[in-house]
Amino acid sequence: MDPPSLMPRLPDMCRFPMLGMPPPELAPRVGRIGGDASVEESTVTEQCGGSKGRWRRRDPPSSGGATEAESSKLVSTSSGNELAEAEAKHLKAIKSTDGNDNIKSEAEASSGICNKLAAQNPQTTEPPKQDYIHVRARRGQATDSHSLAERARRDKISERMKILQDLVPGCNKVIGKASVLDEIINYIQALQRQVEFLSMKLEAVNSPMNTTIEVFPSKDFSSQRYDTTSSLAYSSQTWEYEQGSGTEWLHMQVGGAFERVT
Amino acid sequence: MKSSTRNPNPNPDTPRFGPSKLMLAFRFLRALTLVHRTAPNSSNAARSRRIQRAAFASMAYSAGPRRAWSRALLCRLHFHRARRRCARRSRAAGVPRRPSTTRSPADGLRRLVPGGTGMDYCSLLEETADYIRCLSEQVKLMQSIVDSVGPGGR
Repeated sequence: MDPPSLMPRLPDMCRFPMLGMPPPELAPRVGRIGGDASVEESTVTEQCGGSKGRWRRRDPPSSGGATEAESSKLVSTSSGNELAEAEAKHLKAIKSTDGNDNIKSEAEASSGICNKLAAQNPQTTEPPKQDYIHVRARRGQATDSHSLAERARRDKISERMKILQDLVPGCNKVIGKASVLDEIINYIQALQRQVEFLSMKLEAVNSPMNTTIEVFPSKDFSSQRYDTTSSLAYSSQTWEYEQGSGTEWLHMQVGGAFERVT
Repeated sequence: MKSSTRNPNPNPDTPRFGPSKLMLAFRFLRALTLVHRTAPNSSNAARSRRIQRAAFASMAYSAGPRRAWSRALLCRLHFHRARRRCARRSRAAGVPRRPSTTRSPADGLRRLVPGGTGMDYCSLLEETADYIRCLSEQVKLMQSIVDSVGPGGR
C-alpha cells in the first residue's frame, strides 16, 4: 500500500541530496517504530515543497478509519504535552477534511517556511518514538511549519504573561488571558492615576520642599555611595547625559552645593 | 551651571538590572526643584502637570534607551515641548484614529503603554512588564517624598 504510493513521488524526492537514500529503505522504515525514521522523513518533508505534504496527507485517508482510532489512542498516550496538543490539532484537521483541502493549505504553509523548520525539526521529533501512527502525525505536525513557529511564539507569550502576573498584585487569582490582561490594564491605569495624584500633592507642598530637598539627598544617599558608582557606570554605558548628572550629584554630596547643579 | 567634567567609567561590566532607583530619585528630585524654582507663580494645575511630566521624564531617562517605551515616552515629551515653544510644524506624531471593528486583546494595553502601537504582542508584553516596574518605582519614590516632607505641607 505504501510503496506504490511512494513510487510516483520519487522524482520529487530525488531532487534533494537528503533523499539520496533509496526509496525501498523508506518503506520498511515507515512501518517501523523508531525516532530515526520520523527524523529523516520529517526533515525530508521539511526540505521539500508541497509535494511532500501531499504525499503525507494522502496516507492517513488511505488507511481509513483505523488511523482515527489509533490516532486518538496516540493522543492520549503521547508523552510530551505540547506534542499532544499539536498532534490532536493535526489529527482533527485530518479527520475534518478529506485530505485534498488540507493538501493545498499545507502545501502553501510548508513551502513558505521550510528552511526554518529544518533546523527545529530534529529536536521536536526526537521525543516521540512510538508507533507508526505517531510518526505520521509527527511528520504532519512538523511540516505544519506555522504550528511550530506558533507554538514557540505561544510559549514566549505565556512566559511573559507569567512574569506580568507576578508583577501585578492580585493577578494570580484570575484565570484566563483576557481577564489577566484586564487586570494589568487596570493596574497600569491605577499607577498612572497615582502618579498624577502624587504630583498634585507634591505641587502643593511648595516652600518647605525647597529647603528639604537640599538636605534630603545628602542625608539619605550618603550611605549608598557605592551603589552610585555602579549605577553611574550602568547609566554611562547607555547614556552620556547621565554621566554628567552623576558627577553633579557627587558635587552635591561633597559640598552640599546643590545650587551648582541647577 | 552644570559641570562639564566627566567621570571615567570604573566598572564597565555592570549587570543589567531594572530601573536604577538611585538615578530615578536623583533625576526626579532635581526636576522637582527645577519646577519649583523656575515657575513659582504659575497656576497649581500647570505646576502639577509639569511635575507629572518631570516624573515621567525621569522615569524614562533612568530606564535607559534600551527600552522602546522609554524612547517613545521621551519622543512624546520632546515633541510636546517643541510644539509648545514653536509653531506647530507637523502633526506626524498625532495618534491616527483608526476605528477597528475587530478588537484584539492587546488594544487597551497598547494605548496605555507608550510606544505600544508599533509592536508585536510578544514585545508588548515585555515592555509592559518593564513599564510597570518603572511606574511602581516612581510611585514609591513620590510617595516617600510626600511622606518625608510631612503632613505640614504648605
